[in-house]
Order: sequence, then structure tokens, then C-alpha cells
Amino acid sequence: MLRVKGIHKSFEDFKAVSGANLTVEAGQLVAVIGPNGAGKTTLFNLITGQLKADRGKIIFKDEDISKLPPYEICRKGIARSFQIANIFPRLTVFRNVQVSVLSQQRKSVRLFRPAETLAVEETNTILEDVGLSDKADATAGSLAHGDQSTLEIAIALGNKPELVVLDEPTAGMSPEETAATMELIRRLAGSQGLTILFCEHDMEVVFNVAESIMVMHQGITIIQGGPDEVRNSARVQECYLGGA
Amino acid sequence: MDFVQTITLSALCSHLLVGLSRAMILFVVTSGMSFVLGVLRVPNVAHGSLYMIGAFAAFSISNLFGGGSTGFWLALILSPFVVALVSLIAERSLFCHLYEREHLMLLLFTFALMLILGDLVKMVWGADYRSIMAPEYFRGSVTLFDAPFPRYNLFLLVMGPLVAVGLWLFSNKTKIGKIARAAAVDREMVGAIGINVSWVFAFAFVLGCFLAGLGGALVAPTVSITIGMDHDIIIEAFLIVTIGGLGNMWGAMVGSLIFGITQSFGILFLPQFAIVFPYLAVVIILIWRPTGILKSVW
Amino acid sequence: MSKGIFSLKSFGPIAALLIALVILPSIIPRFYIYILAVIFVTALLAMSLNMVVGHGGLFQFHHGAFYGVGAYTVALMLTKTSLPVWVGFVAAPFVAAFVGLLIGLFCVRLTRLYFGMLQISLGSLIWAIAFRWYSFTGGDDGIHGIPLPSLISSTTGAYYFGLILLIISLIVMFLIFKSPFGATLQAIRDNPERCEAIGINVRRHQLIAIVIATFFAGIAGVLFVVVEGSVFPDLLFWVFSLEIFVMCLLGGWFTFAGPILGAAIMISLRTFAGIYTEYWTMILGIMLILLIFFLPEGVWGYLVEKFGFQRKKSLEKERQ
Repeated sequence: MLRVKGIHKSFEDFKAVSGANLTVEAGQLVAVIGPNGAGKTTLFNLITGQLKADRGKIIFKDEDISKLPPYEICRKGIARSFQIANIFPRLTVFRNVQVSVLSQQRKSVRLFRPAETLAVEETNTILEDVGLSDKADATAGSLAHGDQSTLEIAIALGNKPELVVLDEPTAGMSPEETAATMELIRRLAGSQGLTILFCEHDMEVVFNVAESIMVMHQGITIIQGGPDEVRNSARVQECYLGGA
Repeated sequence: MDFVQTITLSALCSHLLVGLSRAMILFVVTSGMSFVLGVLRVPNVAHGSLYMIGAFAAFSISNLFGGGSTGFWLALILSPFVVALVSLIAERSLFCHLYEREHLMLLLFTFALMLILGDLVKMVWGADYRSIMAPEYFRGSVTLFDAPFPRYNLFLLVMGPLVAVGLWLFSNKTKIGKIARAAAVDREMVGAIGINVSWVFAFAFVLGCFLAGLGGALVAPTVSITIGMDHDIIIEAFLIVTIGGLGNMWGAMVGSLIFGITQSFGILFLPQFAIVFPYLAVVIILIWRPTGILKSVW
Repeated sequence: MSKGIFSLKSFGPIAALLIALVILPSIIPRFYIYILAVIFVTALLAMSLNMVVGHGGLFQFHHGAFYGVGAYTVALMLTKTSLPVWVGFVAAPFVAAFVGLLIGLFCVRLTRLYFGMLQISLGSLIWAIAFRWYSFTGGDDGIHGIPLPSLISSTTGAYYFGLILLIISLIVMFLIFKSPFGATLQAIRDNPERCEAIGINVRRHQLIAIVIATFFAGIAGVLFVVVEGSVFPDLLFWVFSLEIFVMCLLGGWFTFAGPILGAAIMISLRTFAGIYTEYWTMILGIMLILLIFFLPEGVWGYLVEKFGFQRKKSLEKERQ
């Protein structure tokens, strides 16, 4: 479904990503792991268009999306969440998700229909799915950190994506919240049949959930394979234990 | 078209010189604005008011010392410091408490400052037109390219580059200048190495305003000093730093040159619409390079 | 739970206010009728600016330019052509919106401060032309004694004309504010990057918002001509544009009706301060500093914050 081939990106003279490869098959739950600064977030920003690659290809459903602006990539069916909660702080939780649903339904330029009556059901379903229904009327900026991160995911789901890209969905969460979020991700992948790509720096979290794992180190893909394969890879252990 | 005949090469050259000397004044003023933009990332809307205060202060100081040569030089040296003092008071009493707020609030504060300073000037100096005389040796004109060229403008042509070199030496060769430039790029970093960022900002703000005052003092002998000067200069200053590249000192130089020269050529070709030419140049430049000719420090 | 877009609760006070505004001209002196009419004009202008500033998060620094374009369009069409009056009235908002589109096209390519600076540049170009083109725009004198139909040329006539246009405009603005577009615009204000990532073409939305806002600024320009019977280049001057900005701040950026309040306060203050002192701008400056330090959410925003939670409570009750 998604294929990243030899992608490169440098900032001034710092090479953030220099040769990353990634394959995501439809329906898979794929994780990208690597130590801090390995280039995971940069890779995600390249996939969803916030950054433009210097070199390399990103193929989504047989189409090169590496040159498209973020909003068009989103319309192709890739939604994402951000590591630092990237929500609409002055709007209500309901509105946060509704805006996303409206965008997906191509209704965001409608001028003279009250928004209250549009996309209500879809929005409520998503809020229920992620467990934020009871906070629908709260202002998003006033939510607790964990809830904001959940809202992040809910906003992404509003786009009815085929592929969801989650950038460290558990960043800064307590162990309980982390478990709940991972459970949510597993459920989304299972019951809703979503393809999910996420990254994490905590290895333990990943090995329990992911079907396929890609390991990054200093901007380079070291390996991609099933959990066992990755666990037993000599090079991965070298990177994590000895440093390359 | 009869006006075409009147344009000769010598007229072109002498208008070029007039444009250049105008550009030097603009540069002194906008280099200060650009410096503030570079470090604080705020367009100082009150910059024009400080320029106006510089001109009025020059008038008062020059009169205090009986006009003449001494009065002129003392005015030129002291009035920028008067302006710096005014800005320091505003910065330390109010402005510095806003550094953590959104940029819009900083900008609106400088707008408020402009409104207040404008009326303060009216209270102190009144609404009359004032003027000061340059010293004997700067009066009159010399003949350049078959046209009279004011001697004082020659002085301006020297002062502009002097300020540019001084500012360049300051920001590249002195420690505080380097810190200010670093703060422009990464304020957390500067804070992290134990430097009081608030004072760096204060310093940058005051230095920028000092230059506005210097510009006002320099322009004083060539214009009638009056309230309303602030409105005229500030919009030009805005345009210049925008086309030059926000926060880039050499950009302010390039912008000033473009502005001064298009304006004086405009006077040559279409006097009634001379004011429109620099604006047109700005529009064309911004359509061609929306973020200015030189690289912005942002 | 689902209600109409105009909630019944706010209907009472609004209706009372409307009735008061309709009756007022027959009981107050002409000078006050005139001041109220000026408030209508300015309120509409501030509301139109707030669409892009408060709800759109754009640094629309030179909104006055579009207001001036609207006013000049009417003035020029009424004095230089023999077209029927209504043609000028209808054309003005469209001309303003067209200029808004042109300037907007360049501005939306840029972010935040550059957007604002570019807009000041382009707006000042218009100002410079109006200021200097004596034979066409009357230069710094402006155009005076613009012939208006007798129905609206009196102060009272202008008052009712202004009131009607203001109400219609406000209803349309409110519909837009509550529409998916309005919601999306507010989302863009809060977080443009995130909007891009959920498939919203941010620049296109911003451009549409600018066009709508400048259209309403054009209507305000028409009203200005009706109320004052003249135009002058000060309308296009950037200082005035920043004053409108302050009205929005004073009323409250993030509220719908705040700017009306802001405009009303500013115009009243200016009128009555002007009687006692010539230093109005200093008062404005001090007021602005006080706002920045103590009331950054504006008067209306403060009221909502202070008393708003009661409304939320009643909402919760409704849900149960």
C-alpha cells in the first residue's frame, strides 16, 4: 500500500534522513522504532508532506505522492497525528473532530448551512470509538495531556483514512495511558480494518502490537521485518546496545 | 511628450545623487528597525515616532546651544541618546513584560507607543513647523553634473556608509553584537548559556531606536520638522525592510537604495506621482520575491 | 437538544435592542443619531475585519484599504458617471472584494507577519494613488458633496439605511460564522499546519475569507458615503486600519459580536473625549496598553469568560 524508497532529507548540513525504506501492506500494523534523533518524525513528515524530500520516492497505491502538498496527500487517504498534541485549542472537542469529518466530506467550503447539523453522527461515532464522548463539549485546549493525544488520533480518524500515521502516540503518557492507547490502536487496526503506521521509541510497547517493525538509526533503515526477526537481528542489537 | 526632452544625462545623474542621499537617511532609520526585527521579531510601529523625536530633540538641543556649528554637532550626537533614553524607559517599564506573549501583542504595543509618543511630541513642541540650520560649511550647494547639489547631502552620503560599517562591525566583531545575533536565531539557546535574554532584547530595542533618533537628527536640517513626520517615514521604513528581507541589515541598505532612487527618478519623470513609484517598485519586488530580496534572518 | 441556529434565549435581548434602535431617532437629538450611524458603519467594518483576524487568524493589517476602495467606488460613480445610484451601491462591495482577491492572492502565499507587511505595502499603494491623483480622486481633499437620493440623504435616513444594511450583513456573517466554512476557518486560525494534514486547502480558505471580509468592508464603505456624504484618503491610511484592529481587540477577537461593542466604545470615546481634549490618540494609546496588559480577550471575551460558565451549566442541564 505504501512504499518508501531510498528517501533523503537534510536540514542545512544535518542529514536527518539519509536512505530510509519502508513497506506497509494493506491492513498491517507497522511500527517504526529507533532511538531519539533517528529521524522517525522527519520520515513521517516526509510521508504526509509537511516536508519535501531531497531525493527518493514515496509510493502510495501506485502513485508517487512525494511532491504533493499535505492536504492532497490527506485526500488520497493518509491521515496522521502529531507527536506534540496538534489540536485546535480554542474549539470544542466535538468541533475538533467535526472539522476533520467535514473536510473529508468536502463540505468545508459551505457557507450557508449551519455546521451544527452536518457530520454529527460520524463525529459522535468517532468520539465514542476513542472514548471522548463525555468530553465532547469541553474546550480542547483545556483537556489533560493524555486526552489531547487521544483527540489527536480522533482528528486523524475523522478523515476516514485508509492509512493512519501516528507519530509517537504515547509520548509523555503514563504507563496506564500508554496501555489504553495501545489497546485503542490495536482495536482500530482489528475491528475497523485500518492500516496503521506508528513510531515509538519504547521497544517493549512495540513488540506486543506491531506485525511488522522497521528500525531506524541515524536516518538510515537498518531492517524491516516481523517482531522476532527484528528482535534477533545482530545489527539492531548493535545499534541499541553498542552504538553503530 | 514634452517632458522627455528635458531629461538629460546630467539630470539623471543629479537625481541619482539626490536619491542616494535620501536613501542614506532611510538606511539609518531602517537599519535600526531591521535590527529590532531581527532580534525581537517585532516590527516597531513606534519607530517613526522615535525618528520624529530625534528631529525635534535636535531642534531643541541646537537652539539651546545657540544654533551654529556647535549646536548642530551636539544635536547630532545627543539627540539619538535622548531617543534611546525614551525607548529604554518604555522598554523597561512596559514592553519587557510582553516578551512571552504573542507577537501580535508586541506589535500592538508599539502601535500604542506610537499613538502616545505622537501626542507627547505635540504637547512638548506644539504643532508648529520647526527647522534648524546646518553649520556654515554644509550650507549652499556644489555643482555636480551641471546641477546644484546641496553640500549637506554630501555629508549624508558619507554618514550612511559610516553607519552601515559601524553596525556591521558592531554585530560581527563585538561580543554583545554576536549575542544579539544569536538571540535572533535561537533565543532558547542564548537563554540556556546563562545570558539574560530580556536584557539582550532591551539592548537591541534601544539600539534600534537610537538609530531612529540618529536618522531624525540627520534629516532635521533638510526638512521642516513637524508632527506627522512619524506617519510618513514609518510606512516607508516598513516597505524597505520588507523588500530587503526582514531583519537583514544589508537588506535595509538595498531596500533604502531602491526606495530613494525610484522616488527621485519618479520626481524627474512624473512629479505628481513620484510617491507612487517606490510603492510600485515594492509591489513588483514582492511579487517576484515575496520574502524580500535578501535572505531574512527568520 | 438540537436547536435552530439562532437560539431562542438570545432572541429576547436582541429584539429589545432592535426595537430600541428603531424608535431612538424620534426621541434623541440629531447629533446622537449621527453618532449612532457612524457606529453602525464602523461596527460593520470591524466585524468584517474580525472575520479574517479573530476567526481566520490572518494578519490583515490594512483592512481600511478595502473600506476606502468601496467608499471611493461609490463616490466616483455618483459624481463622475450618470449611472443610477443603486449601481454604485451594488458595485462598491464587488470592487472592494475584487481588490481583496487581487491583494489576497499575493498575501496568502506568505505567513503571518510577512502577510501583514505585504498587505500594508499594497494597501499603501492604493492610498498613495488616492492621495495624489487630484484630477480623479480629488487628492488629499477627497470628494465632497456626493449627491445622494433624498430618501437617505438626511441623517435619519442614513441612520435607518445603515441599520438595515448592518442587520442584513450581520445575519449573513453569523450564518457564515456558524457554517462549516466558519468552523474550518476557526480551525485554521488555531492550527493551520494541522488543517493541512486533515485535507484542508488552507490558502484557498484564507483567500475566500479575505474576499468575503473585503466584500463586507466594501458595504461599510458604501455606508460611510451615505452617512458622511464625502470621502477622503484618510480612510485608506494604515493608521486607521490599525485602529479598526484595536476595535476588534477591544471587543474581543474570539467572539462573534465583540467588534460591534469595540467599535461602539471607540466611537463614543472619541466623540466625547474630543470635546474635552485634543489628545485623543494618546487616550487611545493608553487604552490599548491597558487592553494588552489586562484584557487581552477583549471586553466581550472577558464577560463571556466571567459569566460564560453559567451558560455552559444550563447547556448541560438541557442535555440531561
